[in-house]
Amino acid sequence: MDAEPVLALLARRLAEHRLEVILIGNMAAALHGAPVTTVDVDFLFRKTPVNLRRLRELSRTMQATLLRPYYPASDLFRMQRDSDNLQVDFMGHIDGVSSFESLRSRAVRINLRGAELLVADLRDIIRSKKATGRAKDKAAIAILEETLHAIEEKGTEPGTKKRSRQRK
Amino acid sequence: MPSKKKARNPVPRSDLAKESDLALKELIRHRLTLPPEKRLNVLRRKVGLRATAL
Repeated sequence: MDAEPVLALLARRLAEHRLEVILIGNMAAALHGAPVTTVDVDFLFRKTPVNLRRLRELSRTMQATLLRPYYPASDLFRMQRDSDNLQVDFMGHIDGVSSFESLRSRAVRINLRGAELLVADLRDIIRSKKATGRAKDKAAIAILEETLHAIEEKGTEPGTKKRSRQRK
Repeated sequence: MPSKKKARNPVPRSDLAKESDLALKELIRHRLTLPPEKRLNVLRRKVGLRATAL
């Protein structure tokens, strides 16, 4: 199924609610060109009281339910919409990534129907999957590394912009 | 007398495996020719309790 309409809608709503997140996981890898599939959309976010309020508001706008499954290691919040089985995970922490800021400094911006989405660098996605060490992640690593190799051979990807570093 | 282990010959990769690798490379190259928004036919929907479908 084409995830572009739902991802574009999410990007627009995230911007409206001023919730800064970084797309990670297989959806991010797919945007980089990796032939992988997924059942959900994964984001890294900063777990602050303000962001949690914005996340609750976002869920309401998306007509979804915000769940808090017991996954203490990843600080997971799950937005679920029963009408179309949409599942969006917001994690406060992922393996192999030291901080939100470090991931953001290497992320690329991708424009979807006028809304920009921060997408984790493919090297970070690979690093995270290696650090997690789950069987399903290990299975994807070879495909992601082959994609990274092809990108490096080709040069810069079309349609992506490297995020400019913010001045202090 | 300690038994000597036979040096293992690397298993030759089958033609099928080579073709499979080539197909993956071609698929990636094709994906990279598309703009990012056209690379998103990746979402599997949950069907019932255990199955998913693209």
